[in-house]
Amino acid sequence: MNKKLVGAALGLAATVTLASCGSGSGTGTAGDSGDKAGGGQVTLKMVAADYGDGPGKPNSGQKFWDEVVAEFEKANPAINVEVTVINWNDIDKQVATMVQNGQPPDILQTGDYSGFVKDGLLHKAEEVLSPGVQQDLLEKFAEFGKVDGVAYGIPFVSSARALFYNKELFTKAGVAEPPKTWDELKAAAQKLKDAGVSQPFGLPLGQEEAQAEAFLWMLGNGGGYKDASGKWAINSPQNVETFTFLKGMVDAGLTTPNPGTKDRKTVWEDFAAGKVGMANGGPMSIPIFDAGAVKDKYGVVAIPGKTGPLDTTLGVMDWIMAFNKNNHPEEIKKFFDYFYTGPAAQKIVDLYKLLPVTKSGIQKLSGDEKLKPFLDALPNASFYPFTDPKWSEVNTQIKQTMGGAVQDPAKVLGELQKVAEAG
Amino acid sequence: MKKLEPLAWVGPAVVLIAAVVIWPVVEMIRSSFLKISRFGVVQGPNGLANYEKLFAEKDFADIMVRSVIWVVAVVGLTVLISLALAQLFNQRFPGRKVARWALIAPWAASVLMTAIVFKWMLDPEVGVINLIRRDLGTFVHDVFGVDPRSLGLLSAMGGEAADQLGQASTAMPWLVFVAVFVSVPFTTYALLAGLATIPSEVYEAARMDGASRLRTYWSITLPLLRPALTVAALINVMNVFNSFPIIWAMTRGQPGYDTATSTIFMYILKNSDIGESAAMSVVNFGMVIVLTAIFLKVSRWKQEVA
Repeated sequence: MNKKLVGAALGLAATVTLASCGSGSGTGTAGDSGDKAGGGQVTLKMVAADYGDGPGKPNSGQKFWDEVVAEFEKANPAINVEVTVINWNDIDKQVATMVQNGQPPDILQTGDYSGFVKDGLLHKAEEVLSPGVQQDLLEKFAEFGKVDGVAYGIPFVSSARALFYNKELFTKAGVAEPPKTWDELKAAAQKLKDAGVSQPFGLPLGQEEAQAEAFLWMLGNGGGYKDASGKWAINSPQNVETFTFLKGMVDAGLTTPNPGTKDRKTVWEDFAAGKVGMANGGPMSIPIFDAGAVKDKYGVVAIPGKTGPLDTTLGVMDWIMAFNKNNHPEEIKKFFDYFYTGPAAQKIVDLYKLLPVTKSGIQKLSGDEKLKPFLDALPNASFYPFTDPKWSEVNTQIKQTMGGAVQDPAKVLGELQKVAEAG
Repeated sequence: MKKLEPLAWVGPAVVLIAAVVIWPVVEMIRSSFLKISRFGVVQGPNGLANYEKLFAEKDFADIMVRSVIWVVAVVGLTVLISLALAQLFNQRFPGRKVARWALIAPWAASVLMTAIVFKWMLDPEVGVINLIRRDLGTFVHDVFGVDPRSLGLLSAMGGEAADQLGQASTAMPWLVFVAVFVSVPFTTYALLAGLATIPSEVYEAARMDGASRLRTYWSITLPLLRPALTVAALINVMNVFNSFPIIWAMTRGQPGYDTATSTIFMYILKNSDIGESAAMSVVNFGMVIVLTAIFLKVSRWKQEVA
């Protein structure tokens, strides 16, 4: 064997492997859990995800939590709370490291809880929530926090979707009312197109969030990813019909071109620039639209379904949970009660344009005209089947290929169904 | 004792290579035989199941074929263009210094940034390339009365025709273009360095023998350039095969998997099945070695680069 060839092979290996470890990161600095600092003092360690624009920004999560904790500690001098805020990309990895090292936080706020239940790491919700708070949580949301009938995950904040439409373009095209049914939607889109609007309906079926846009359309025809009995039903006749309708829209040039390659971010930016007639969006799109050319020129209504507006919507929620390792349920309960009954829960909703998960929270926001369609649909929201272990794989596949369903509905939906049913 | 002395010098490098090269390779191969949860928890051995699942993916064959075409197209075009550019920059002409500096720009800029800039330039609603196509379209329509669409120009922004990254048939050429654009500077400089090593006496001798310019290039320049050419092309083959940012930033491998190469596929799989993704990495690794071996065989590396 030639020495140079060995050298070349090693150099080659270096290029390949160096390239492959670029994405790894995350140093779990879990810090010591200084449990009881004497005198009955209890320190709770909390890890939370950052809803803001990152460290140092005026809306950073660390700043939000520091303020909440300062208020809480004033009211409860015997309890200290140490909050570590981690961005969404790293939080799962870092928490996994903490758990593996036997140093889980006492409180964790993130996007999923179910992985920890199996290993018996969590307090039951009833151990750390007072009954008043527990009853205030929206039933449909709390239901998803249960594993085998016992609640572990506590809904933290949520988000939902509704239809945004550009009033100026609607007037220009002579569309009097925002659509309530698919037929009205198609007719409105045709008028918008005739009036020179390049994207009458913004349809992001690209990788960023194809699973959301597709789901909203499925709901409009009584479909979904699973049927009522909990079986995968991605290629149900209703869903095929839904995408056949969308295919008609796409073929007629009434949507974003090549929807399977468009991310929601792009479509929302185009909407903000006044190039899109209608698009599905959430409370989080309001700041984007308000920063663009369409400020005060758009309306929000319930999403049209095949025969009438949806009485449900896509709900997405995040969770808060308590780990039982350090056994501080009483102190955690005080903190949770403080969060849900005090100003903090409302503040986080206002600050980050999220939606509440409590009945009282919805009550407080009911005066907001733009949020009304979201709040109306929220108690009856529909969710991804995220408790199904297959979902992450199905979801990945949906993100990549769902866009093809507007060309060949039966084939693409059938392939996705096969992925869901495999293994 | 004297015998061990070289080890003290080579040792640290060997340790470094073992730590940052060999160990990750071993880990990668090991992971490809494990069942790993999406939280990254190893759930036990998985035999060949990861590979079976990977090979059964309906897009797998297409992706592998596309990866090879991608490498051949990008490296081939890069080398051809660089050969011409190197020849040009080897001449003396006014402004050569500026031109040489300008050539570095695409190389100096981050690849990801370049890809994003091209994605923006191709945006169907506001991209500058499409604005030019539309303005030219308006011009030919107004002056010559020609339908702009018949010339590949636009009559309006925002439609299907303006969305070149939305379809594989038009997106792929753009991806290749950007990949060539960022690979050309390095390759050209490598070839320029090669050209500088060719002694001028050889050219003088050729001229005295009355060789034509083409003949001189074919029989003197190219053979003497071969070591530089081989190294430049080899580095490009490996780089382009593992190229990730260009495709990811511009199309994410979409629509479907129609613009995905194996590296993109590996990354997408990481979201759903880490074991299968590791299997894809191993296949990728093997592909690079095979491609490189073929390349070295073809270019007769041992005789020429020694």
